[in-house]
Amino acid sequence: MGISFREVSHTYRPPRGRPVLALENVSLDVREREFLALLGPSGCGKSTLLYLLGGFLPVEAGTITVGGRPVSGPGPDRGIVFQNFALFPWKTVRQNILYGLEKQRLPRAAREKRAQDLIELVHLRGFENSYPAQLSGGMKQRVAIARTLAIDPAILLMDEPFGALDAQTRALMHEELLAIIRRTPKTVVFVTHDVREAVYLADRVAVMSARPGRIKEIVDTSFGGARGSEIAGTREFTEKVEHLWGLVRNEAIIAQERQGS
Amino acid sequence: MKSTLTRYTPLLLLAVLWEIAPRLGFIDPQTLPPLSAVARAWIGLLRDGDLATNGLSSLQNLVAGLALGIVVGVVLGISMAWYRPIEVLINPLIRVLYPLPRSALIPVMILWFGLGAASKIAAVFLGCLLPVVIGAFNGARGVEQVLIWSALAAGAKRHQVLWEVVLPAAMPEILAGIRNALALSFILLVAAEFIISQRGMGYLISSYGEGGAYDAMFAGVLTVSAVGFFADRAYLALMGWALRWRG
Amino acid sequence: MARLTIFIQGLLRWVSILALLAAWQAFAEAHVVSSFLLPAFSTVVVRLYHDVISGDMVLGIVLTLYRAFAGFALASMSGIVIGILIARVPLMRWFFDPLVSVGLPMPKIAFLPVFILWFGVFDASKILMVAFSAVFPVVVASWAAAENVEPVLLWSALSLGAGRRQLLWEVALPASLPQIFTGLQVAMPIALIVEIISEMAMGGEGLGGSIMTEMRFADSPGVFAGILAIAIVGATLVKAMEVIRHRLLIWHPEALAG
Repeated sequence: MGISFREVSHTYRPPRGRPVLALENVSLDVREREFLALLGPSGCGKSTLLYLLGGFLPVEAGTITVGGRPVSGPGPDRGIVFQNFALFPWKTVRQNILYGLEKQRLPRAAREKRAQDLIELVHLRGFENSYPAQLSGGMKQRVAIARTLAIDPAILLMDEPFGALDAQTRALMHEELLAIIRRTPKTVVFVTHDVREAVYLADRVAVMSARPGRIKEIVDTSFGGARGSEIAGTREFTEKVEHLWGLVRNEAIIAQERQGS
Repeated sequence: MKSTLTRYTPLLLLAVLWEIAPRLGFIDPQTLPPLSAVARAWIGLLRDGDLATNGLSSLQNLVAGLALGIVVGVVLGISMAWYRPIEVLINPLIRVLYPLPRSALIPVMILWFGLGAASKIAAVFLGCLLPVVIGAFNGARGVEQVLIWSALAAGAKRHQVLWEVVLPAAMPEILAGIRNALALSFILLVAAEFIISQRGMGYLISSYGEGGAYDAMFAGVLTVSAVGFFADRAYLALMGWALRWRG
Repeated sequence: MARLTIFIQGLLRWVSILALLAAWQAFAEAHVVSSFLLPAFSTVVVRLYHDVISGDMVLGIVLTLYRAFAGFALASMSGIVIGILIARVPLMRWFFDPLVSVGLPMPKIAFLPVFILWFGVFDASKILMVAFSAVFPVVVASWAAAENVEPVLLWSALSLGAGRRQLLWEVALPASLPQIFTGLQVAMPIALIVEIISEMAMGGEGLGGSIMTEMRFADSPGVFAGILAIAIVGATLVKAMEVIRHRLLIWHPEALAG
């Protein structure tokens, strides 16, 4: 289930004001089971690209195919995790996780078991009957991930999922995410503006330009298959981070100058 | 300008419908006279002075009650926020009166002041008082301490701080409370006029209704509604101007 | 410690109300004004008690509440539906937007004689008058709520496999509930007020009607007893709505914080 973007453009049309070209001729391939990070300054359209892939925005120019077939609307093959968690506040942790399973029409016993397994997976045992308002940011994000993983999508879309968390929680979540991916491999498209996070988590990092977003450069960060703590302190890691940081910084400056003028 | 016109087009459509439906017999013209008949009746009311007499009476009583309510309300609300003993005294009164629909007090006003203008003004006054007091109280209480300290440090006396700092800072809440009071004043005045009769737009509407002159009745209803609507709009504009420092 | 403070605050509130009533009683007994203008609180309470025992008051309360509730229910159902439709269907928005924005600041009570003309002098006209007045805040709240549902909630549901129809019932409606309920909480006192005014203007049975009758007979304690009854009923309704809100919205941050 590889993903393919071909000449994708998108114009953002606000109800009041002029239309803005958010993406311009983006072409990109994501291999199956690959962890790809979309990196770029604010406003470069990386989230827009993700939403187009997710089917939440209509593809007006260009094509996006998943496994050879063009994207047409959201679906359980592409699970999404948002930065502000998007949990259903009126449902408990368990009910949130069960939601997708109910839509899949799994029999009751199977649903409950799977939900429990996921609650264990994200270390939230004991909080099954809590409401989102009673949870911390990190816990909420774990529920969101569990909810998405429950329906076992082949592709995982993540829109700056750890952006709302503090640095320590974020570091913990990185490890948890890598552990989860190791157990159930998926294709992951991960949007972030944090360079270090991108290099740490991803196999490849696609750097996007300032608006209108284009793919500027793609950097391999697979470190020959090594993951996690092994790569963190190495020279190769630091070099890649610096290189990417330089790219992003240039684009960020361009974006800022454009905003000022 | 154009967008305003297109925005209110559905009203125009309804007006056309109001004219056509009774004429074509879809609606009994007895119960809903065509709009043109209502318009004609309105002109008639204007010409023979009926509109002027009653309209003026209503306006006088409304403005009197509203003005009284605003002045007393602002003074009371700010005093409550500024002087603790006053708050302790008045707060329970407010708590008790708040859930009570002030229109329920109209019969008491009649007991006290009889069937005349005084009762109507008193009813409007009571209706307006509470939203203004609460707005002024909350507004004054919410003034940042640092603003007051800055003024004191600059040499202002305590009562000067009250007028020169607290009052302006509380203005947004006060004005919001007054907007509320404005809407309530119309409701209470019309209600009082229905009940007390004698004079005023409420009296005009109900007496023409009882007398069977429905086109005049509708003319009265529309007049009151229009005045209420435009009063609110005008007040919003005034409020916007007064709070233009807000940005 | 916080619990104690809240308890003491609640206590003080009651203390100040009792102090107020005591002041009323003292004021009346001192005969500063005639007992006609301000009957003693004790007199009013005794009178209320008798009216309740005799059944007259109960009948009045039941009638008033029945009409107010009927109008409120009508306003709630139609208001929620209209509000949500306005948010989602452009044609509805085009049509209703000016109606709502013009209708909101209008003193809708002015339409009472119109309703009497159209629906007679019995329950129907009162109920519809109440509904007409109460529907506006419900529409406004439902409209705002439906418009402000976070897109990411809808998108999450879609990507989890929800169909379009399910989106409305399973996501949009629960997400809108807090704001819609606030609209209902605004509409409820309006329903009571309008009902009482209608009764006072039209006479007959009911709390408002009874008070007018008593007023005509210069039955001052009766009038005050009626007002006391209205105050109690009004406060009870407001409190009931708060309790219902707490139960219904148990998941809401504001409920869990307190």
